[in-house]
Amino acid sequence: MPALTFNKVSKTFGDHTVINAFNADIHDGEFLVLLGPSGCGKSTLLRMIAGLSDITSGDLLFDGSVANDWEPKKRGVAFVFQTYALYPHMTVRENIAFPLVMDAFRKWYHLPIVNIVARHRLMKRADIAERTLGIARQLELEPLLDRRPASLSGGQRQRVALARALVRNPDLYLLDEPLSNLDAKLRTQMRSEISALHHKVGKTFVYVTHDQVEAMTMATRIIVMNKGIVQQVDTPDEIYDHPANTFVARFVGSPPMNLIPASVSNDALQLSGKLPVDHAAPLPSRRHMTFGVRPEKLTLHPAGEGRLPAQVAVVERLGAETVIGCRLMTGEENNDQRLLEHDLVFVRVSGNPKVRIGELCSLDYQAGDVLWFDIDSGDRIFPGQE
Amino acid sequence: MMTPRKLAVKALRYTLIGILVVLAGFPVYWMAATALNVNSQLYGTGQVAWPQLQHLPDLVTELDNVPIGRWLFNTLLIASGGTVLSLTLGALAGYALSRFKFHGRGLVGFLLFMTQVVPEALILVPLYAMFITFGLLNSLWGLILANVGFSLPVACFVLKGAMDAVPYEIEESAIIDNCPRFSVLTMIILPLIMPSIAAAAVVSFFAGWNEFLFASTFLMDRTLWPASVGLASFVGQYETPMSAVLGAALVFSTPAIVFFLLIQRKIVAGLTAGAVKG
Repeated sequence: MPALTFNKVSKTFGDHTVINAFNADIHDGEFLVLLGPSGCGKSTLLRMIAGLSDITSGDLLFDGSVANDWEPKKRGVAFVFQTYALYPHMTVRENIAFPLVMDAFRKWYHLPIVNIVARHRLMKRADIAERTLGIARQLELEPLLDRRPASLSGGQRQRVALARALVRNPDLYLLDEPLSNLDAKLRTQMRSEISALHHKVGKTFVYVTHDQVEAMTMATRIIVMNKGIVQQVDTPDEIYDHPANTFVARFVGSPPMNLIPASVSNDALQLSGKLPVDHAAPLPSRRHMTFGVRPEKLTLHPAGEGRLPAQVAVVERLGAETVIGCRLMTGEENNDQRLLEHDLVFVRVSGNPKVRIGELCSLDYQAGDVLWFDIDSGDRIFPGQE
Repeated sequence: MMTPRKLAVKALRYTLIGILVVLAGFPVYWMAATALNVNSQLYGTGQVAWPQLQHLPDLVTELDNVPIGRWLFNTLLIASGGTVLSLTLGALAGYALSRFKFHGRGLVGFLLFMTQVVPEALILVPLYAMFITFGLLNSLWGLILANVGFSLPVACFVLKGAMDAVPYEIEESAIIDNCPRFSVLTMIILPLIMPSIAAAAVVSFFAGWNEFLFASTFLMDRTLWPASVGLASFVGQYETPMSAVLGAALVFSTPAIVFFLLIQRKIVAGLTAGAVKG
């Protein structure tokens, strides 16, 4: 049974539609990543799941029950905010224990002054103290329990936020770009820790990010969004290998997929409108398309040995591999002085090849590695959708 | 080692601070010195510039004839009651204005602001008529209500400004953690804006402490007077005992000075809160 179902869910702010008829199922126990550029509506979607934002139209179902009007409390979710949203005036121990203390509060405990006394007494209750300590140990926060958030590093704060989410043992964890405020090294470390945590607790995680590396490394499934519309829902491998459209092809992968305008006449292929290529495989039955190939599926050869003559324009040495940006030699490349990235064809090669900027070379590919997209809509037409 | 230039700048700075301290502290000193002089000297040319402690028993005897303790208690009640009421209602109203969108929010803000524009003297007569109707004349609670009418908007605006600066995510996080709205305010928001609460408390407290116009109009019973009205009553048709007036003023000022010293650190933080990105 799906844990969560979106049925034509829309969200508008005045005349501006942020999410348009969103349909998706989130399965029990999966690590689902909502991936998309800033402003695509993924955080709004997460807030709607939590009950922090109203749904304009459509239905959100929790285990089959319409939950549009449920209070956040009834949904039983934990939320990790981008800014961590720790309580600055409470210690780490009080922060982690807060959800447990609130669950144990009786109605009259909420009276002013009474709530202070009640909170202090509940903090000492054996089950709450033990559970807090247990979670703190699990996330290596025990030495920091009596410190306040202001004295913690970004990574430590992030772990406190995670601990506070974990302590109540909810069925659904919602994480809104929790790693975006960390430095690159810590982000890599926390990525592994969150993945391990998901594996350990076995609950449903919904994770919002604009970072495709986070999505690819952590997700069991990814929903790629753009402008409030779902572009593709699939596993990370499928999204990488078979992007549904040119947006997904460009958004996922670094460097992104090479997309080159192509035309076919009399079974002959021309790239960039001028470069004839012997494709050596049946071509889709369309006149104009977009030719797509991942940088690692291209091979670099000396000039004249590959099917695509090119000139090296950019060399990015990354240590274990090198990314080389080439300009295709269409015959008119000397008239085109632009050196924009999207004009380049990127090839990823292992090691540190001896190539220099300006050097002539050639590229080659396997026909089976090529994806074809509709030139107008950007949708993939081959393989799979012709 | 300090260069001569830095030394000179430092000396100049301390001299300026010294002058300002003298300017600010002199009235208090003069109040003490005058209180401990004899009236005959004060009305002649022989006032001694420093306090004469040998006259302290005379001053105590003179003040014994007036219910200064009672007046001080009344003042404390008016100031504290007004402060508690202003802060409580100000926090609730400030939270609503800060966090909820509702029709008439701008109007509420405008009306609160208008209370600061209207002079107290202008509403004295209508308020007097209302107090007769509601039986609040000659009552300390009535006076507290009248004072709160003026200090509440200030408290509300100060607290609203501070609440605006509290990130909304912290509040949402508490809601997710199963904390009801009212507890979000009392357990999360208010502890985070303590400096602003202290600032609002000082404004409300001193407004009540120094208030004279309403008290002298609405309170007829001498035992209900606050110290401000009591002090004014020293002024006679033919004679004003200056040393007693300033002796009483000294007693009257002391609790206020102590109150201010206790929370002054918090106030500075409160008045500058939100000035820079945190």
